[in-house]
Amino acid sequence: MDAKTIQHVNAMPAPTWHRLHMNDTDVEIPAGLSVVHEVTTEIPAALAGAPDAFDAALAAEQVEWEKTHPEKTPEQRAEEERLRTEEEKTTYGGTAYSRYQIGADAIEEARSLARAFETGMGADAYAWMREVAGDPIVIAAPAGEPQEVAVRVAAVPDAVNVAAIDVVAAPNAEVTVVLSVDSPREGTGVTGTSLRVFAGTGARVHVVRTQTDDATFIDMDDAGLFTAENAFIDVRQTVLGGAKAYTGLAGDIRGTASRIDIDTRYLGHHEQQRDFNYTLRHHGEKTLCNITANGVLSGTSKKTYRGTIDLVRGCKGAVGQETETVLLADDGVVNQTVPVILCNEDDVVGNHGATIGHVRPEQMFYLASRGLSQEAAENMFVRAIMEQAAIDAPDEPSRDGVMRLGSHLLDNFEGFLDEEEA
Amino acid sequence: MTRDALLSVRDLSASVDEKTILHHVDLDVAPGEVHVLMGPNGAGKSTLGHVAMGDPTYTVTGGSIVFDGNDITELSTDKRSRAGLFLSFQAPVEIPGVPLSSFLRSTLDERPDMKMKNKQFRKTIKELACELNMDQAYLDRELGVGFSGGEKKKVEMLQLLLLKPKLAILDETDSGLDVDALSVVSQGMDAYRERCDGTLLIITHNTRILEHLDVDRVHVMVRGHIVAEGDASMISDIDENGFEQFIGADDASEAHE
Ligand SMILES: Nc1ncnc2c1ncn2[C@@H]1O[C@H](COP(=O)(O)OP(=O)(O)OP(=O)(O)O)[C@@H](O)[C@H]1O
Ligand SMILES: [Mg+2]
Repeated sequence: MDAKTIQHVNAMPAPTWHRLHMNDTDVEIPAGLSVVHEVTTEIPAALAGAPDAFDAALAAEQVEWEKTHPEKTPEQRAEEERLRTEEEKTTYGGTAYSRYQIGADAIEEARSLARAFETGMGADAYAWMREVAGDPIVIAAPAGEPQEVAVRVAAVPDAVNVAAIDVVAAPNAEVTVVLSVDSPREGTGVTGTSLRVFAGTGARVHVVRTQTDDATFIDMDDAGLFTAENAFIDVRQTVLGGAKAYTGLAGDIRGTASRIDIDTRYLGHHEQQRDFNYTLRHHGEKTLCNITANGVLSGTSKKTYRGTIDLVRGCKGAVGQETETVLLADDGVVNQTVPVILCNEDDVVGNHGATIGHVRPEQMFYLASRGLSQEAAENMFVRAIMEQAAIDAPDEPSRDGVMRLGSHLLDNFEGFLDEEEA
Repeated sequence: MTRDALLSVRDLSASVDEKTILHHVDLDVAPGEVHVLMGPNGAGKSTLGHVAMGDPTYTVTGGSIVFDGNDITELSTDKRSRAGLFLSFQAPVEIPGVPLSSFLRSTLDERPDMKMKNKQFRKTIKELACELNMDQAYLDRELGVGFSGGEKKKVEMLQLLLLKPKLAILDETDSGLDVDALSVVSQGMDAYRERCDGTLLIITHNTRILEHLDVDRVHVMVRGHIVAEGDASMISDIDENGFEQFIGADDASEAHE
């Protein structure tokens, strides 16, 4: 494969001042990589889905959605237009009425769930990942007992190894999707997962992705989520490794009283780069979302976090919340954060909070007084996040990945869990 | 005495933001001894502890600190610690995001002679927690976060017993403790002395904790000067008559400067 640059990855829906260089990023795929499919799955036979299950579910939902959301009559439109203030016509969530907003309006006007559906890394990255991944792994979870499936991607030296996964949860189904991405062999290359999740009425979907690549690999984590009425999707992303790790997630919180929760934990050290983009759009009434990101950055690592909560007109009673906490263990760290709340509806709540903690001099002195140099202190922060990830790992292979990477990074990491059990 | 001293502070002056806090301080502690540093609030006792430990907040403007035969005046704090000096903080800090056990593990990993396997490590810290009457659940909690004042002091004692330093400066480790916690801490001090021939420099306002300790020497600090030194009998004297008797003594020493 030739080298390739995928542009405009992880783009924020409503761009900020371009000089900040935060609106999006480029993903550089190095030359000379082959395309492989070294993916293992643990999926009960009863959960194997038809190839077009995701699109079919969205199309069926379109019919249901139109029943409860009839097109407005010309009279209703005229009345709505009359009620909109001059300000509402020219601004959107405090940002100038932009090319973005014109595009967003067109998507709302089209009233097409399929057209509105997106993934966090954007169309170009999605197309590329789906192409290199080949046929998607399709999981169709029926209602009944909670199910668990796993998809594991092993980094392959000199190769691009990406899995495409579609998950369709039937009404009232409950399924846990474990994704583990690890690099058991040394080398350079690209790992990735391209995930689409459709959660039907009352369904619950839990996604737990643990990425433990060595620092010679690039990882791409792209996801798009859709919730029907009363559906709930929670996603836990643990980003521990990789020279560059890109995480993009978009969610259409469409059905009334549906909900999406995101819990991200990450670690960046040395010269590693972490790039996150979350876009959650509240379409349904009384919808909820909660984004929590917790990270530790040391060395000269760089992190960009973009989190957009879009409270689309009509999502009465919606509550969106994002909270970011990052600990900066070194002055060389580059930490960029843009939380955005777009709001085109009155009866909603959108909150964001960010806590950026530098390790303060008195904390450093305390650690030093117990024998820790600056380097040892940074290692301690790395140890803390690795140990927590191991304790919280969803299953053995995910934990093995954490232990493998942790043992590379830290002395005396092996076996710290053993005596816990004893 | 100087020749045998484990810690020897000579003519030490230190300042912060151009303001001198310690004035020509002399203080010697011989190995295995128990010393007490007393003085009114704001005298500079904690400052002396911090300067001995190398807190970069303070600038040493004169004098020297010799520990275990080596001049450590310019040595970094982490190296002083690894050389066997320990300061229990009057106000221990909180480090969110770092479980206490991960922190303790890291402090041992930096000491080649103390490296232990994880199993051994877990066992050791559990035993120490038990000895200090601490719930083991604290070991997995974030360092200091949400700990009560007394619990923070116990964590300091736990580290003293884990790291077994040659000399420990305990800065009001006994303050703010209930009766039970107080006896746990004083048992901890005994254990430290027994297990590793520990040497103590105790900063305190509470003479009760000293009652069952064999105090070798008492130093009194007023306004950044050492104004009196003597044997254990000074403790009851101070208890009865307060620091009044020493105030003004520092003016005399200032006059020599
Ligand atoms: N970092 C600092 N910045 C400014 N002033 C300081 C600093 N550290 C200490 N001081 C001042 O130096 C003096 C001595 O303080 P120190 O904390 O050493 O007293 P102490 O003897 O320990 O008192 P206490 O018995 O109340 O604990 C006080 O006046 C204090 O305000
Ligand atoms: Mg003090």
